[in-house]
Amino acid sequence: MKNSIKVERAKKNITQADLAKLAKVSRQTINAMELGKYAPSTVLALRLAQIFEVEISQIFTLEDSDWS
Amino acid sequence: MKVNHLFPNKYKKIGWLVLIPSTIIGLITLILEYEPNFLDFNVPAIFIDEFFGEKQFLGIVNNNILNEIFGVLIIISSLLVAFSKEKSEDEYISKIRLESLVWAVYINYGILLFSFLFIFDLTFLWVMIFNMFTILIFFIIRFNWQISKIKKSASYEE
Repeated sequence: MKNSIKVERAKKNITQADLAKLAKVSRQTINAMELGKYAPSTVLALRLAQIFEVEISQIFTLEDSDWS
Repeated sequence: MKVNHLFPNKYKKIGWLVLIPSTIIGLITLILEYEPNFLDFNVPAIFIDEFFGEKQFLGIVNNNILNEIFGVLIIISSLLVAFSKEKSEDEYISKIRLESLVWAVYINYGILLFSFLFIFDLTFLWVMIFNMFTILIFFIIRFNWQISKIKKSASYEE
């Protein structure tokens, strides 16, 4: 799964630490998601969408490997 | 949904403060076979099978309780260290916690299986004694190592 958290974060001009605070998770979690090392739960994904004020599908997109 | 059966974060520090000294002192008393007389007590036992005595169900034995004291201290404190929340315990940390626990169980039983097949008699008893603690110790090492790894990785990115 790909995500555009880093891009959305840049648009809002906030740091990983800021986003972590807003989303109520640790900074490591934001970092791991941006690096594609961690796929968040539905709840966290929805929270991020609400913070960035976009549709969830605008942040997260499936890749072919997600079907294998 | 938020149930995770973990202790509050502050217990982690208390756990470390008890675990480290009791492990060191416990090991030293074990090696020196130190059994002070004032800790000899008659204690209840569920099953008694002494070397040259009768087998007996439920009874009283005379026992030096020093090893019991250290055993209890080490088990409780390592439970606190292992299962106290991180400062920011979130879903990613939970995932690492689970992975570390699976890893610790595999390693622990791998070593136990090997010892079971190739170590015998009284030496195997020592393996079992250490095995009381190793699963938690392996978990603590692996989990903290993983956490420090992701913390390091997160400090580069901005």
